[in-house]
Amino acid sequence: MTEVDIAGFGIWSASFADPGEFRAVLAGREVESEGTLKPELIPARERRRAPAMVKMAVEVMDQACKMADLDPAAVASVFGSGMGDMQITDYMCRTLATSPRAVSPTKFHNSVHNASTGYWSIATGSHCPANAVSAYANTVAATLLETSVQALEEDTPVLMAIEELAAPQPFKSVIEVDAPFAAALLLVPPGHSVTPLGSLSLALRPEFVDEPAPPALDDADFSNNFAATILPLLIALAEGQRASVSLPLSRRSTLDVTLEHAAAPATAHA
Amino acid sequence: MRLAIGQYTATSAIGIGLDPMREAIRSRRSGLRPNDLANCDLETWIGRVDGLESVSLPDELGHLMSRNNQLAWLGLQQDGMLDSIAELKERAGDDRIGVIIGTSTSSIGRTEEAYTKLLPNEAMAPEYCQPEVHNLHSPGIFVVEATGIRGPALTISTACSSSAKVFASAARWINHGLVDAVLVGGIDSLCMSILYGFNSLELVSPERCRPFDRRRNGINIGESCGYAIVAREELIDHAEFMLLGYGESVDAYHMSHPHPEGKGAMLAMTRALERADVAPTDVDYINLHGTASQANDRIEAAALGQLFSEHTLASSTKAWTGHTLGAAGILEAIITLEAMRQDLVPGTLNCDEPDDDFAFDVITENVERPVRHAMTNSFGFGGNNATLVFGCAND
Repeated sequence: MTEVDIAGFGIWSASFADPGEFRAVLAGREVESEGTLKPELIPARERRRAPAMVKMAVEVMDQACKMADLDPAAVASVFGSGMGDMQITDYMCRTLATSPRAVSPTKFHNSVHNASTGYWSIATGSHCPANAVSAYANTVAATLLETSVQALEEDTPVLMAIEELAAPQPFKSVIEVDAPFAAALLLVPPGHSVTPLGSLSLALRPEFVDEPAPPALDDADFSNNFAATILPLLIALAEGQRASVSLPLSRRSTLDVTLEHAAAPATAHA
Repeated sequence: MRLAIGQYTATSAIGIGLDPMREAIRSRRSGLRPNDLANCDLETWIGRVDGLESVSLPDELGHLMSRNNQLAWLGLQQDGMLDSIAELKERAGDDRIGVIIGTSTSSIGRTEEAYTKLLPNEAMAPEYCQPEVHNLHSPGIFVVEATGIRGPALTISTACSSSAKVFASAARWINHGLVDAVLVGGIDSLCMSILYGFNSLELVSPERCRPFDRRRNGINIGESCGYAIVAREELIDHAEFMLLGYGESVDAYHMSHPHPEGKGAMLAMTRALERADVAPTDVDYINLHGTASQANDRIEAAALGQLFSEHTLASSTKAWTGHTLGAAGILEAIITLEAMRQDLVPGTLNCDEPDDDFAFDVITENVERPVRHAMTNSFGFGGNNATLVFGCAND
């Protein structure tokens, strides 16, 4: 059994731009989010050149650190995305198909899967280890597991960010995803945070389960957005509820995740 | 830290499997050739795996067709790797083994091809509608399907440190008790994105690459595939080598230029040595990142000069294989293990006029010498660095 505490979280979509707006949507209130994305951590000049993928990641990572009141330079990071930056892949493949020598050097170095943690480290001055991972449809489970194991084995806070972009037209042949989504969880070893939001227990099971469909929220349709499969956990976290979900880890294994909320009684005897 | 290294194998421009690789290193035969990749008009040298285009996938894996997965399959069939995996599954249980693959390209070569044949409505043509191929986890999916391993599976993609970091994550998974063994791998294949991308940054050499030479003028790009079993000691009979340490760091400086004082490189090396509890004076050999770019070699040599004495032999093997990017970490880890096995340290190829401004001299000729502790460096875009430390099992 793997047990870690959650010290903070971050969330962004076109319908809710931060945890406050997310809670408002869950409470049935109107939010006036305009889907703007201006992560303060990235200087304005750099922000213009930074891809949307990077801006989403840096925004939710910063939100999670602020909620936990932890110095972003002191946390390791794991970025996860099933499809990676489909906008840059689309740009690269279009340019290569027509005029390969016109490839932009900035777009090329932004095309690495670890671009988000690269920009994050430059913005925060962090030399802590940074990882960038993918497990296709199972990216939430795999990133959660990787981040938790790192937090416990290295005895350090580790920040995970997961996100998917909307699919450009050619990619819609293989994945129909319309609404972008990003979230972050700051995971710490038990005892590290005095006031954790909750704790997670993770257990492996050598069986296959179906990928759960992400819930619809407000008007947002997160169908096929792999990152949004974390929503049931984030909803429970934001509402102070207990939750149990089973997330596929591969065609042959499953991750059972239980969220206990710190505000709730540690054990509930009948 | 001490984890056993079981069976391993590597395929690159210097050969399919370990035997031709050993011969190429001993005889100092480079695998680089003038660029002859179809549809690519760049004047450069490349490290291409011969005959890769004609490798066919088994029927049940046909839906995963891509050059990268052809390379994954070719590599998996060498040096009894599949037999060793089957044996490990018997011994540990197929759900007690994980899969972690490092890649920077994944199957993007296949996506590039799909974009050259888009239908008028911008849909992909039917033969390219492969959901499990046009994503970063494509090699991870392929290896899980090809081996039937039932533990957790992950693809790591941190540019050129990807398949060095697979060893770090594998060590954490095993030390945590999540699994008892991990099949780690690295697979990167030649594609247009990489060749024209590095060309746009003016980092590609029109000639043979010359790591640490004063005339060095850029990198040659290659493709490779490597696998290794990392496991609890009791699972591997007569293991020859141990993974003793890993160090991971970030430059926090620039997306495509290394930190000018090598801060991230120093941190990766010192963190790896600390974890391994090995003193710099006890390191016999370092396989360097040594890409033959102006900046990398100067900065890496400066970092070495601060940590190591002349007792430690160091070299780059990129003039044999080319820079195989996301697969370079494991390819060069395996070249390092082979140096330990053969007591033969490869001297940097094509370094005929070593840059004498450097704070540390790399070796330029092969040296026969026992290697008990060895290290390998991998530094990538995004300032992402990883260093591994290996030791002989009977130390």
